[in-house]
Amino acid sequence: MKTQTFFFFTGLLIVAALGCSRDAYEGPLIDDLYGEFEVVDTLRISNLTPNFAEGGRVKFHSEFSKPVDWKLTITGQTSGSVKVFEGFSSSVDSNDVQWAGSISEVPFFQLENCSVELTFPQEPDTMRGTLVITGVREYDGIVVADFESGLPEGAVVFHQFSMNMTFETAADAPLMGDTYFKMGGRMGWNEWLLGMLDVPLEFGSVEVPADQFYLNLGILSGIGGETASDQYLNILISESPEPFNGNLSNNGADIFQDGQEVYKYQIRPVDWEGWQYVAISYDMFEVKSPGGDNTRTPANITGIRLQCQSCPSANANCPENADIDVRTDIDYVVFTEGVPLLDQE
Amino acid sequence: MKRGIICIAVLLATGSCTVVRAQDQDKVWFDGLARSHFNRDVRVDDEIKDTVSVRNSSGGYNLLDLNTHINPLKDFEVFAQLRVRNAFGGFFGSGTTIDVRQLRASGVIDDRVRFNIGDIFLKQTRFTLFNPDEEFSNQDDELFPAYQQIRHYENFYQENSWRLQGLQADFSFAFDRFVRTLAFDAFITRPRGSTQVASGIHTSDALIGGGSAIARLTPKLSWETHYINFFEVPSSGTTNISIRNPVGQIGLNWTSNLAKGDLIQTLSLGASRRYWLYSNLPNAAPDSISYMSSGMFAEYTNRWMRNDSIFSLEVGYRYVDPGFRSTGAQTRRIDFGSDLAPTVFPTYTNASLRRPVAMFDVLTDIDIYNQNLSGTLMVYNPAFSNVLPYGDATPNRHGGYVNVNVGRKNGLFSGKVNTGFFTEVVGQGTPNRRSFTYINTQAKVQLHKLLNRERMLEMVTGSAIEITRRAGTELSSLDLFSHLLNIGFNAQLTSSFFLQGAIRQLSVSGDEFYTVRDSFGHITNYVRSSFDQRNYLSSFGLHYRFSPKVYANLHYQVWAASFDEVQPKYKYRRLFMVISVDI
Repeated sequence: MKTQTFFFFTGLLIVAALGCSRDAYEGPLIDDLYGEFEVVDTLRISNLTPNFAEGGRVKFHSEFSKPVDWKLTITGQTSGSVKVFEGFSSSVDSNDVQWAGSISEVPFFQLENCSVELTFPQEPDTMRGTLVITGVREYDGIVVADFESGLPEGAVVFHQFSMNMTFETAADAPLMGDTYFKMGGRMGWNEWLLGMLDVPLEFGSVEVPADQFYLNLGILSGIGGETASDQYLNILISESPEPFNGNLSNNGADIFQDGQEVYKYQIRPVDWEGWQYVAISYDMFEVKSPGGDNTRTPANITGIRLQCQSCPSANANCPENADIDVRTDIDYVVFTEGVPLLDQE
Repeated sequence: MKRGIICIAVLLATGSCTVVRAQDQDKVWFDGLARSHFNRDVRVDDEIKDTVSVRNSSGGYNLLDLNTHINPLKDFEVFAQLRVRNAFGGFFGSGTTIDVRQLRASGVIDDRVRFNIGDIFLKQTRFTLFNPDEEFSNQDDELFPAYQQIRHYENFYQENSWRLQGLQADFSFAFDRFVRTLAFDAFITRPRGSTQVASGIHTSDALIGGGSAIARLTPKLSWETHYINFFEVPSSGTTNISIRNPVGQIGLNWTSNLAKGDLIQTLSLGASRRYWLYSNLPNAAPDSISYMSSGMFAEYTNRWMRNDSIFSLEVGYRYVDPGFRSTGAQTRRIDFGSDLAPTVFPTYTNASLRRPVAMFDVLTDIDIYNQNLSGTLMVYNPAFSNVLPYGDATPNRHGGYVNVNVGRKNGLFSGKVNTGFFTEVVGQGTPNRRSFTYINTQAKVQLHKLLNRERMLEMVTGSAIEITRRAGTELSSLDLFSHLLNIGFNAQLTSSFFLQGAIRQLSVSGDEFYTVRDSFGHITNYVRSSFDQRNYLSSFGLHYRFSPKVYANLHYQVWAASFDEVQPKYKYRRLFMVISVDI
């Protein structure tokens, strides 16, 4: 009977101890979520003339009466570049929403006026502001080719001699700076390769593994809204220790030959119009030809090949390409460590 | 006390008191199940016109589950369940499948340790590892036994256990003083293997392991402890984020032999933690944890049962913290998430609207059921179950419950009443807390005994009411009422022939919020929903009992659902036939 009593009083104790519910709640407040929306504190911009080249930052702040979806958009008035911040909260917190001149999508910002717009997808309210960029952002990374002073030192260009071949620098539509490199044309015979650019590299100081080493490059495509069928960029990276271009009778550099340690990645198809900025981690490259240790080691990279290829119109492969010029132009080829270039804060 | 400890140590060392024994069997023997199942469904165009969906559909199958038991040794068995299934409409072998449905090796090592390896069915307690019943199922065994049997058999639901793949072992000791018996059970299983979800991206293996120790200290007092841990192995996938969910429980049971019956008092306490481990971080950073939830539970139960078993009363109190998370006990049989779609007539109306899962689908559609453990809380439908959607381990509940079972010695009448009164421990989205009430009743009357007739005439009625209320502002207050009503009969026409009928209706009205959670289980939003719906099912037909193990059912059923003004109503008919043979 003593045990029965123990159970009874222990049970009573538990009921008394736990029976008192807490005056608290979990999750966001319903009255906030479903209540009326009001702007409590209007949009404030901390720096109206940021110089991002010198590490300048812009902080944004605003407060609302309840948590809402919000979207802060900064648009370059000249470049058309865009930076977007999004969130779901009752404020745009200046501790979290800070801009260091990066972009959400290409092109890159220039020295220009920018419009700032804070919108709410579920509400009609919009708040606006402006700022002026007095120094553009300089990204961390190893620049392989920006084509501002022509081709990179030691670079080798090869292209077929068919129609409208354009393997040269141009200044009519650069992604970054004043010039870019055009790669395109129209093949008159049954050949996928139109041409290529080989660049020697030396990354001995890089210590990050392959999955944290990114190739970033801008690719321009589409002429008059049309793209050739199955046009693509074939990228080879070599870790061969052989001389870069010892045999001048080859078409292009020697370090991409069969039997050398070469890795391959294809951006296929290139089917968009305008510029896109692409980032690929080195571990995504597949073995093109076995050689060396077959381990992707960024520090051992000795060269990169960027090939323009497309399905030929000849021999009825892609007859629709007979009247379209292939175009896979490139600009601002950069290797970054840790994160892709556009993810840099 | 010292002598007791020495005794236990000696007995453990010598292992001289094992109680496990295996039975002698033939070398190879067989059992199993065979079933023929056929449905024909027809849409009833009353008010809603639908010219883009099929008007009727039919389907069915023949299957044979052959259980092969191979006993190469006295205490060793290899069990394989082979399924041969032929869908109706398949000819000359097309549509015929042959699967190994279950595979298991069992045995006893040295007459002491029993083990199972392969497909095993595991259950611990209602708070650690338990497969809680699906909606509306507590009255199915009387009204729709064929559907319930198929549903549970096809989804491996056996007595609230989960079917898992792995290794389980148990052994026990008996002593002559201080501790009467001591039983241990341990298991390790893999509920989910690594799978490739995209190029270069693989999910991790999920494992669940645990153990129990139960000691009978005296003929009246026993003590038990349970532990279970659901976790992922990040090295088996490409992600560096892995879940951890350990749960522990202790309990005491006291049995009092009173004059007219036994009183069993049970006290259970437990706690859980759930978090995600971030490992293999860049720059050799140490592992870290995020999204931690922790909580405890407590339950105190008194159960009194008369010696003649015709009356029992259970009174208890239960508390479950808002942060209590137990993967093994809170995983639902039906996940009402956005991917859930009924098999029969998944769309309707000329707008091809997605047909909401109805009460009839819960009863009949085996494909909407889940067999995998989930580390986060699944979505439930408040219209179907709102008080304890995750079983007794439903988090953020505390309150009392009373369960009564009554009967007559001559079997003329039996009935049960289960009630519970709970409130939330903390509010959801508001400091105001929901209050919950459920009242489930069921009565069975054997009218033929009342009328002194030889042939059976049985009447079954049942009712399940759920009430949810919350005070507060106009935005946050709510009031939801649901009522499930069952009426059925079973009339014996000849020695083997039965006429059967049943009607089931669910009415739901009021307002409730669907809780939206992120992938780590945190509440991010609420979706307010107004309910004004009715689900209806009537079923009439014949049952022929060839033998206790062989029966045939032929039923005609009408089922329908109506909603508020926005969602169109629907109505269907079904011809259902099943022949089932226990081999």
